[in-house]
Amino acid sequence: MIENFQETAKRVFSVGWTNFKRNSYLSMGTTGVMVLVLFLFSGLMSLNFLASRIVSGLEEKVDVSVYFKNDASEEEINRVKSDLESSGMVKNVEYVSKDKALDEFKQRHAGDTLVQDSLAELDENPLQASLNVKADDSSQYASIVTFLEGNKFRSLVDKINFYENEQVIARVLAISGGIWNWGFLFTMALALIAILVTFNTIRLTIYNQKQEIEIMRLVGGSNWHIKAPYLVEGGMYGALAAAVVAVLFYPIAFFISPKIESLMPGVSLISYFVSNIFQFIPLLFFIGILLGVTSSFVAIRRFLKI
Amino acid sequence: MIEFKNVTTIYDNDESVEILNGVNLEIKDGEFVSIIGPAGAGKSTLLRLLTREISPLKGEIVLDGINLAQIPSKAIPLLRRKIGTVYQDFKLLSAKTVFENVAFAMEVCGADRGEIDSDVPKILGIVGLGDKLKSFPHQLSGGEKQRLAIARALIHRPRIILADEPTGNLDLVNSYDVVKLLMKINELGTTVILATHNREVVNAIGKRVISIEKGKIVRDQIENGKYVI
Repeated sequence: MIENFQETAKRVFSVGWTNFKRNSYLSMGTTGVMVLVLFLFSGLMSLNFLASRIVSGLEEKVDVSVYFKNDASEEEINRVKSDLESSGMVKNVEYVSKDKALDEFKQRHAGDTLVQDSLAELDENPLQASLNVKADDSSQYASIVTFLEGNKFRSLVDKINFYENEQVIARVLAISGGIWNWGFLFTMALALIAILVTFNTIRLTIYNQKQEIEIMRLVGGSNWHIKAPYLVEGGMYGALAAAVVAVLFYPIAFFISPKIESLMPGVSLISYFVSNIFQFIPLLFFIGILLGVTSSFVAIRRFLKI
Repeated sequence: MIEFKNVTTIYDNDESVEILNGVNLEIKDGEFVSIIGPAGAGKSTLLRLLTREISPLKGEIVLDGINLAQIPSKAIPLLRRKIGTVYQDFKLLSAKTVFENVAFAMEVCGADRGEIDSDVPKILGIVGLGDKLKSFPHQLSGGEKQRLAIARALIHRPRIILADEPTGNLDLVNSYDVVKLLMKINELGTTVILATHNREVVNAIGKRVISIEKGKIVRDQIENGKYVI
């Protein structure tokens, strides 16, 4: 039984490979189309990566600061901080004491003598202690503010800058939401086109062998006996195309990456793909082989009806 | 034993165009039957019914006691492996070599590599293609193509050989070679059904001859039949 299976597998692969070689002209054409399709997929993955970096960069910039009145003690502020942390809505809360706020202010205006002189003339620190809140999800800022409004230490809070930032936050949210939704639609549309192109190319390749398939049926070939080598052939188109793309994509990404980095500092396309190489290359092969085999499977069905 | 019981077929689901019209026929094991008639009389249809390439509108076809209509479509390959078929247009696998064309017919029957490697060159030697194992069909002459098709039809030792105008594309010398081959196969016990409109060939064979005209059997000469329409 196992021997039988081995022999069958050997036959299927060697026939598939022989077909691939003998139809080399057609095979190269089909593989070429699949190379383009897989390049499109890689391009879409790059775009998704860039879009996600843009969105997270934007969202990173959004936060809410809670300023406390001067009579609020550090202990009370820390109580508010731990309340916030246990609310489950925030990513992190940073406590900025009056002294720290002053230090930061001084540093920021280190070159401005007017500010430095005016500060020196003051007896006491004019800045307020604050909590700097970053949400898990930027749509939660409104609820965080509501949560603070209902807190028992509400009376200690002087102001929450959410009300000033509200419009900015809403715009950032709208833009990042738009990037996600449109990006998703765009990706899906292109992926669908890629699948249709692959499918039709393989269908034409197999249509070319329609008569052969019908003859195989007439001399008594069972469906699977005929079909299996074609599935292998389809898989080979995909695997070869994936190999070509894997070899070509990295040099291209290496070349493009600095240009993107000059537009979006801190975003490195090449290091993203290098650090994900063991996910990216198997994924290319998986998509290529799956597309090839499925297309062959669907395309050949029509000719097996005799 | 092959039986046609009151078989009627139509053209492409169009009931107004009948190809066979109430055909009754019995062919015993080991017979050599020539089916003759003008083009379009229904000779090929008769053969295609036996491999279930098409199904009759009415009536039944019984092979060794089994009604072909009752064979589930998955088992059709099994039916076709009992029958060897030779066509006017050869129906060779153009992307496969001479050796692979014959080997394919063995593979579908589940033969192992060893059997294939020993039997295929033998049969190709018998039909005179022993030196062309690696050629492709387009590199063969018409006669060679038909001999290859016969080798393929014979390789799994079928009980029935169907030959549909096997000499239609061949010159006289090659035609006689093919017919001699078919007669030799018949002498070894295989039933042969030959559809043809080649008068010389039929007269040379001198066995049972069935004449079809407009979808009906008009004459059945059991012995030493001649080409008469």
